[in-house]
Order: sequence, then structure tokens, then C-alpha cells
Amino acid sequence: MVNPATILVTGAMVGSLYVLIAIGFSLIYGVRGVINLAHGAFIMLGAFAYLVAGGQVSGVAAFVIAILFVGLFAVGLYLGLVRYIEHNVVITFLATVVVALIIQQLLTLEYSLAPRSLEPIVSGGIAFAGTRVRYYQLIAFALSWVALGLLFLFVRRTTLGRNILATSMTEKGAKLAGTNVLYVNVATWFVAGAFAGFAGVFIGTLQSTSPTMWINPLGLAFIIVTIGGVGSIKGSIIAAYLIGFLETMTVTFVGPAWRGMFALLLLVVIILAKPEGLFGREFIE
Amino acid sequence: MTSADTPLEVENLRKEFGGLVAVDDLSFEVNSNEILGFIGPNGAGKSTVFNCIMGVLSPTDGSVYLHSDEITGQDTHETVNQGLARVSQESNPFEEMTVEDNIRIFAVSNSPFAFSSNDDEEVIRSLARRMGLEDELGTLPDSLPHAGRRRLEIAKALATEPDILLLDEPFAGMNQAEIRDLSEEIRGFRDEGITLVVVDHNMRGLMQLVDRVIVLNEGRKLADGTPEEVADDERVQSAYLAGEV
Amino acid sequence: MSKSVTSVTEESAYGYGIPLFDTRVNLYQGGVLAVLLVSLVTVPVWAPPWAYLFALANIWAIFAASWDIISGHTNYISFGHSFISGAAAYTTALLTFNVNPDMAIYITFPLSVIVAVVAALVFALPSLRLSGPYFSLLTFVSVLVATKAVFIFSTYTNGEMGISTVSVLTFDTTMLFYYTLVPAVIITGALLYISRSNVGKVLKAIGQNEAAVEAAGLDTTRFKLWGFVYSAIPMGIGGALLAHFYGNVEPIAFLIVDRSIEIIAIAAVGGMGTILGPAGAAYLFLFLRDEVFKAFLGPNARWVAIWSVVLVLLVLSPQGVLKRLWTFLGNLGGDSS
Repeated sequence: MVNPATILVTGAMVGSLYVLIAIGFSLIYGVRGVINLAHGAFIMLGAFAYLVAGGQVSGVAAFVIAILFVGLFAVGLYLGLVRYIEHNVVITFLATVVVALIIQQLLTLEYSLAPRSLEPIVSGGIAFAGTRVRYYQLIAFALSWVALGLLFLFVRRTTLGRNILATSMTEKGAKLAGTNVLYVNVATWFVAGAFAGFAGVFIGTLQSTSPTMWINPLGLAFIIVTIGGVGSIKGSIIAAYLIGFLETMTVTFVGPAWRGMFALLLLVVIILAKPEGLFGREFIE
Repeated sequence: MTSADTPLEVENLRKEFGGLVAVDDLSFEVNSNEILGFIGPNGAGKSTVFNCIMGVLSPTDGSVYLHSDEITGQDTHETVNQGLARVSQESNPFEEMTVEDNIRIFAVSNSPFAFSSNDDEEVIRSLARRMGLEDELGTLPDSLPHAGRRRLEIAKALATEPDILLLDEPFAGMNQAEIRDLSEEIRGFRDEGITLVVVDHNMRGLMQLVDRVIVLNEGRKLADGTPEEVADDERVQSAYLAGEV
Repeated sequence: MSKSVTSVTEESAYGYGIPLFDTRVNLYQGGVLAVLLVSLVTVPVWAPPWAYLFALANIWAIFAASWDIISGHTNYISFGHSFISGAAAYTTALLTFNVNPDMAIYITFPLSVIVAVVAALVFALPSLRLSGPYFSLLTFVSVLVATKAVFIFSTYTNGEMGISTVSVLTFDTTMLFYYTLVPAVIITGALLYISRSNVGKVLKAIGQNEAAVEAAGLDTTRFKLWGFVYSAIPMGIGGALLAHFYGNVEPIAFLIVDRSIEIIAIAAVGGMGTILGPAGAAYLFLFLRDEVFKAFLGPNARWVAIWSVVLVLLVLSPQGVLKRLWTFLGNLGGDSS
């Protein structure tokens, strides 16, 4: 007999990870209308940065370094490349995916294709709700909510955060209101990169790290944001947990090989029924 | 529903955007081969009405009939193929294609197997001649003057062989001479059997041109009659505030 | 095909010179094109060690041109084209591996092409009603799913190792080159015809302003679907050809999303919407990848160089490098362009 509590708990763990994967992508797509296909590579960089830093400093410090590194890298990508091409959707698409491939190849040269597991900060776990839950997963779950809470406060309470929100609705309007759009963009990319780095550390530890690990999270992020609705952070969160739970149920009842397929099926259903996603809204330009 | 005398009928049309009612229970008919003026102050809902008719927007309620067939909410291309074409307010050419290819897209048949056709070439050429564009066939739209871009829009609409032509603010940005010329051309279309609806935000250009005027205000029909009747109508005058319609 | 004149006046946007598929090609463009074609056809004569490479490039030219007729024209960027050619290749492979190793090529080949068309329609049908990014997403994900499926069903597909029971076209590199050149030329010619025809122009118009095409009385969904079919047939042919080229079908060479991205990069560098640009760029890309960069940097590091070059070209010349060259040659004729 399957313990429903197990599904609940496992689904929540998976969902929290998926939220982290999707948030950065959602921010850039929702706020700037830019589809950043290098997002999966950001996640990958988070994992590898943690690997490298973990060799020098303690786990917690390495974690922080990884997040900052990817945040800054994202800003660099924006300033160095994306801001010159973001008006051209097709070129941005292609250029960001090529960037991801370059990063993949560089990491392959340095670290080889063999997947590796990263050392979690805290190892071990407890028996909980009929299954064994690793401490690290609980930490990831808790921290993801902390991060979301901080994001919420940032967007609602700070000037910069409100500017980001305003710019996402209408760039012309925001410019007229005197917002420094470049500054807003830089901040958005930093936050998106930081979340990606965050996700990368946990994925690298809880699953595995390799130079090809950017592809699946990218697909997943895209799916979650599409289902949740472009421009809606709330939608991304709900969609992430929805997929987390439903996928866990599929794996439990049908089989582990079908894990990735499930999200796709849900995507097809949503796209056909409600293409703007669960909580999508129109852009005013 | 429609007799041959009223090829286009709108019945109880309603369009809401969230909480905003843009078009409120609007009904009207277009008579065969007439030139109908459709006026209203800015924000009255004119664009919304015609977007609903053309299938760009789906009405919240109500029906549209074209040659007795209900066309409410169907895809734009179907409506166009049934004989209703629109010349939009803003010129909307394919900027990266020549004037000739712009007209071509509107002239070709709706088939992914129709690779080429001598008939299409003929149609393109004669339309270009008619709209005074035959010297500009090989150029790009952005090198045309404003009036040229407007003529291109008309050529494109004509290429779909319409029975009914909607002209959305056709005189915008034109000087007196250009307005006179275009009015002549519009009468010419009518002589060929086309039914015309001309949308504008005031009567000035339309007085001499149209047979009948419908006035729209705040999404509702305010008046329906000859240009003189409408110009004298007090409600219409107050809707336009200054009293000059 | 009607031989129509593009413009009543002598000077048109297309230039003086020889009519070619309803376009005028000037003497410089025609000259360069002729030289390149002759060099290509005679590769085994003046560069026999490169015959294998160019034979492979013939197939990639087919892929690039096939991608171009739909995605390069309508701007619906498909990341799933390796899924289409992969479906064809795997059909051939699965038939020889699981059914009959000696199955005749005149049975497996057409079946593979049909499967490719079906595969294309499977992801085109639900997604073409939607706008660009959602479409691209579905195509991206379909490649991931197909790759996963190959591993899930590895009893039939032999997973990562792939299937080697596919018959090889020939071990003679010269014959191999011509076996692949003929389909490449025919397919490129056919796609060029479609591109220049009214249908191709409608596809291009969809890429510029889809709403206006609807207003022209054209069913854009239907045109896009058929554009996909026009793309999928040669993709299937190319996929089956590639299977017989290597004699081996496995995910890395045929299916993974990297292969799709290569096709897109080639087409973008060549010039989206021009058919000839992507076809030509395939030869350039493969030459750089398998000769130049491999020699200088080795089989692994060369990828960094390749993708970096692609990135630079995408940013600096978004219209496509080969297209730019073509326009440059056109301007040498001294007319308006």
C-alpha cells in the first residue's frame, strides 16, 4: 500500500526544487519578454561553482559563492550580449542556446562528461511519512520558501522591486515614470541568476552534476512557466508544485522511467486548453 | 435572416473587456451597394465593432451575418474569403517585401499547392495600375509616401475581390486634394457594385460622399439616417460637444 | 511554372541579369554560384580525401534547406528537426534490427520518410495554432522526449550504442559523394522552387506579419502545416540517407538536441529564408567542424571554437553571412537593391 503522506512529502520536495528551477526563467521571460535559453546553463554553473568553491572553503560559504557567481555571470551575459540583441526574439533564442553549448563544451574540456555527485552541506536524513527524507532536501525546501518570501518582499516593498514590476507591465510607461530601465534589467538578471545558482547547487547535490545537465532543467523551466502563465510568479510556483506532485504520483504508480514524460503531457493539455497558462496575463507594450 | 438587400447585418453585438463594456447591444444593417458612413467620437467603440465583425476579436454576445451566413467569431480569413475586406486605419504592409509581393499575398488563392498563376500576375498588375502604383511595384513600402502606403492598403483589400469593403478612417493624414481624389475612387468602387462602409470620427469628409450615416457613442447607436438628418440631430451634436459634427 | 517578370520596369529590386525562379541574378552572383556548383560537383576530382566529408555535408545541406523552408520562412523556430530526421533514421534501423536485417531499401526508405512526416505532424498539429515561443518549446521538448524514449525502449533500440544492422550505401567515398549529391541538388532545387513560388512568399509573409496574412484571406494554420510537410519529406529522406551513410543509428549522431541546434545554426549563418544560404552554409560548417577546427584543436575543443564563431556571426550578421555576401555581389552590379 502506498502511503499518501509519502507522496505528499516527496512531491513537496520535488516541487520546491522545480520552483527554484523555474523562478529565474520566469523573471526574465515575464519581466523582459526575453526567453533566455542559457538559463539551464546558469543552473549548471551553480552546481559547478559549488563544486569548485567547495574544494577551497566550507559548504555554506561555497553555497553563497555559487549563488553570487551565477548572479554576476547572468548580469555579465546581459550586459555583454543580450541587451544588444533582445529586440530580435529569434536571434536571442539562438544566441542564448549557443552560449549554453559553449559553456557545456568548456565544462566538458575541464571536467569530462562523467557525472558526479556533490557533497551536501549536511548529510543524512530522517525517516518521515513512510519514506526517508534527506536533511538536505528539507533544507532546500525550507530555503526555497525563504527565498520566495524575500523575493516577494523585494518586489512589493522596495522601490527597485516595484520598478521591476512596473517595467514588466509596460516598458514605455516605466520609462516615462523615470525608471532607469538598464538598472532594472541588471537587477532582474542578477536575481534570476542567483535563483538559478541556488537551484544548481541543490540539483547538483541531490541528483548529479555533469556538463550536459543544463538541458533538462531548461525544458522543465520552460514548461513550468508556460503552464503557470508567463509573467506570473505565483503561476510558476503553483505549476511547479503541481508538476512535482503529479509527477511523483506517476513515478510511484507507473514507473520511474516516465518521470520526464509527465510534464510534457501536462504541457500539451494546458497549451491546447488554455494557452496563456493558468495565471497568464497580457503584455501591454 | 438577411435578404439580398442587406449583405451585412449586425445583431445585438456586445463586447466586454473585463469590466469595461466597449460595445453595448448594437444592431445595424448595411444595404446593398450603398456607401454607409459610420462615425463616432474617439473611444466610441468603432474599431471594436469592426474587429468583432472581421473576427479579430470574439464578441461577448450577438451575431454578425454576411450574405445570410452567420460569421460571428469565425477566423478572419474565412470572412475575407466570403467577400468582406477591410482597409485598416494604420497601414500594415509587409515591410520586407516589395509592393508587388504585398499585393500578391492578397491576390493568391488560399491553397498551399498554388505555386504560381498567370491570373494572379494579371490581377496584381491591373490593381497596381488602377491605384497608381505601377511604377513602384519593385520598391519597398517604406519608400512610399504616406498617400502611397494608403493606396497600397486599398489595393491589397481589392485584391481579395470583396463585395463589401470597410474603410477605416481612410482620409486620415490627407490634404483636401487627396480627400477629393479618394472620394472619387470610393464612388468608383460603388459603381462597380461594391458595398462600402466608411468609418470616420467626424462627418466633415463624409457629408458629400455617403448615402446614410450611423452614429456610435459609448458603444451604443445614437442615430441612423441621412447625413442632413444626422447633422441636425441634437443628441449627436451634444455627443460631439462643440456642436460641429 | 510561369516565367513572369518581376517588375514592369527594367530596374527592379532584384537586379539585372538572368531570370532564375522569378528572381534576377546578376552576373557576379551567377558567376560565383556557377563556380561553386562546378567545384562541388567535381570534389572527388580535385580533393579526393575530402569526398567523405562533402558527402556528409550533402546530407546536412538537405537538413538545413529543409529546416529553412518552414522555420526560416515563417520564423517559427523549430528545435525539433532532429526528431523528424531521427524518426526516419530510427525507422530504418528498427526495421532492420527487429524485423528483418535484409529488408529491402526500397521498402524501408519510403516507410522511413512516411514516419518522418507523421512525426512532424505530431508535434506540428497541436502547436502551430500557437505563437512562436510556445511552438519552439514544444519542439524542444519533443526532442528530449524522443531521446528519453530511445533509452526507455532500449531492447528495441539498443539504447546508447545504437543499431548497426543498417546497410551501408557504399564504402567507395567517391560513389558515396555522388549518391548523396544527387538528392541534395534535387531537394535544394525543389525547395528553392517552393520558396520562390507564391506559397513560399506566403510562408515568408507569415513570418513577418501573420495577422495580415489572415486578413488576406489565407488560412495561416493550413499553410504552416503544409510548410511542415514540405520540410518533413526531405528531412525524412536525409535521415534515412544518413542512416545508410553511417550504417549505424544512435542518439548522439541523429537525435539529441545538439543536432537540432546545429541545423538551426547552419541555417541562421547561411541566411534564413534563402534556401541556398543554409545549403551552402552546411558545407562551410562541416568543413570547419571536421577539417579545420578538428585539425587545430582536436575533436573536443573544436566545439568551443565552432560555437563561438557561430555566436559572433549570429550577433554581427543576423541576416546571415552568406546572404550578406550574396547581396554584396548583387550590389556590385551597380543597381538598386
